Amino acid sequence: MSFRGVTGLARVAWRNLWRNRRRTLIVLSSVVVGVFVLVLFDTLNLGMVEQMLDNQLRLHIGHVQIHRQGYHANPAVERFFRKAEALRQQVAAEPEVRAVAPRVLVHGLLSSAYNNGGVQLVGVAPEAESLVTFIADQIVAGRYLTGEGSEILIGERLARKLEVRLGDRVVAMAARPDGQIGSEVFRVVGLFRTVSADFDRTMAFIPIDRARAMLGLPPDAAHELAVLLDDARQADALKARLQAALPDTLEVLTYRDVVPLLVMQRDLYAEMMYLIYLIIGVALIFGIINAMLMAVLERLPEFGVLRAIGMSEGRLFLLVSLESLLLGLLGTAIGWALSLPVYAYLARHGLDLAVFSEALAAFGVGSVIYPRLTLRVVWNAWLIIPLVAWLGALYPAWRAIHVEPVEAMRAV
Amino acid sequence: MNPNAIVQAEQVTKIYDEGAVPVQALRGVSLTIEPGEFTVIAGPSGSGKTTLLNLLGALDVPTEGRVFFEGQDLSTLSRRERARLRLYKIGFVFQAYNLIPVLTALENVEFVLLLQGVPERERRRRALEVLEQLGIGELAHKRPHEMSGGQQQRVAVARAVVSRPRLVLADEPTANLDSATGARLLDLMEQLNREQGVTFVFSSHDPQVIERGRRLLWLHDGQIEREERR
Repeated sequence: MSFRGVTGLARVAWRNLWRNRRRTLIVLSSVVVGVFVLVLFDTLNLGMVEQMLDNQLRLHIGHVQIHRQGYHANPAVERFFRKAEALRQQVAAEPEVRAVAPRVLVHGLLSSAYNNGGVQLVGVAPEAESLVTFIADQIVAGRYLTGEGSEILIGERLARKLEVRLGDRVVAMAARPDGQIGSEVFRVVGLFRTVSADFDRTMAFIPIDRARAMLGLPPDAAHELAVLLDDARQADALKARLQAALPDTLEVLTYRDVVPLLVMQRDLYAEMMYLIYLIIGVALIFGIINAMLMAVLERLPEFGVLRAIGMSEGRLFLLVSLESLLLGLLGTAIGWALSLPVYAYLARHGLDLAVFSEALAAFGVGSVIYPRLTLRVVWNAWLIIPLVAWLGALYPAWRAIHVEPVEAMRAV
Repeated sequence: MNPNAIVQAEQVTKIYDEGAVPVQALRGVSLTIEPGEFTVIAGPSGSGKTTLLNLLGALDVPTEGRVFFEGQDLSTLSRRERARLRLYKIGFVFQAYNLIPVLTALENVEFVLLLQGVPERERRRRALEVLEQLGIGELAHKRPHEMSGGQQQRVAVARAVVSRPRLVLADEPTANLDSATGARLLDLMEQLNREQGVTFVFSSHDPQVIERGRRLLWLHDGQIEREERR
């Protein structure tokens, strides 16, 4: 049938939709609520998982990391590289790079007078580090590092475990490349609390020079350059460029290489949204089937007349399913119109889940979640909901076309 | 076979087998409708009038015997082909008018043309033309519930004739109308028959309709009892 014919039928379908105004409004409102919930849920879910990943990246990992070749597979203390400052400047000159932080990394033991615990000791250049990660903003007691003296910054949870307070002394011990044990006394100058409980239990920050001295490394040595980009999506392009430019002795990794599980987790959470779509879709479809079936059954004589005057089964099917499709499209439009202001509000102010912040901390999410709207969400709602509405009309439409013109007219 | 025939029934039998006892509605009926006829199938209720009309209109198929429409055996056509035949060749007027309630008079008349795929502008022009011819142009934008029964039935006639079908079948068209309104409706159909050569076949037991028929087929117990021509 021509497009003209379809629009003609659509006009009839639209009017049929409003013959039983109350029934249509009830089904319509269920579609509206469904779309409203889906849009907000999907955008919040996406915002949460993106935030989760972003938090992890901004917490420590950065978007791109540079190590000596093989360090990521086996992060041994002797796998450091030299000329760290020159390399830092070279990388920082790349256009998409926002900041670069050099690090000396070693697993070690931190002991207080009362207790001890395994930690990841991170030797940082305080200024550069504060530009790449937001550790400097997470201080809840004391201060951030200055780079001077034997200062150490530890997590609140670690401090509790070690039973130390600001100003207390702790002893750090770690294996040096030469096989000796390096040890040094640090004074706790600051405590941090991040969104990640795990991070707060296991990370300890010291000035990079102190770390080098403790481990007997040359003054231009580092294990890692952490690179922050303007946009995470530029990571692959930068990696390719740096790999070509830098010597083979160095490895360039994106966050996907460093924390593939986190990336997978984000994708999985995004995928899990389809389960919600399925649940809401199933809930909607029965309401639609029911309403359309009633609408069809009470109009069987009319369909008999349409068949009698020569309407084909295909067009009658189209007429009935168009009614449902229009209902789905209208409901989706209204659902969107209602959800967008709420989305806009949440995008600006965030959704404060302070009540659940303990649980969220375990997942590495902040307590305020900002929804994120992507084209995928738009597609999902505009495609899935009208499709569900159309599917809900299949059985009723099938009933409609199987009416015998003669029998239907006898019922008139 | 009659080469002039629009529709021709040969020894058709129809048995309804739905209830506990099969009902034989038609018992070997043969008849031929030629162009320009104004024919009434008359008989008491239960005599098989509507059944015969349904068979002539390709709405149903006989249990035995054959019906030819323009020489084509209807039993060889699929449901889809029969629907197409009805769409292009046959107009229907029903006892209960059966206009589409959500459409205006004009749109009801247009609907047949819509199904035929006629472009919108031409659809509108032709539908308005027919309404004007039948003297109900002023009803064009009224919905069925805003019209009297007589007005609705006139719109139904307009719908039946708008695509210039070979044959218009009218099943008890005056049954729901008072006699004055029924008379005016019949005037209209006579006029269409006379001036435009539209072929009408009625089923009715209304004396008013029977009186007007130029050919009368009396049906009794599923058989043609007698035939009159005037």
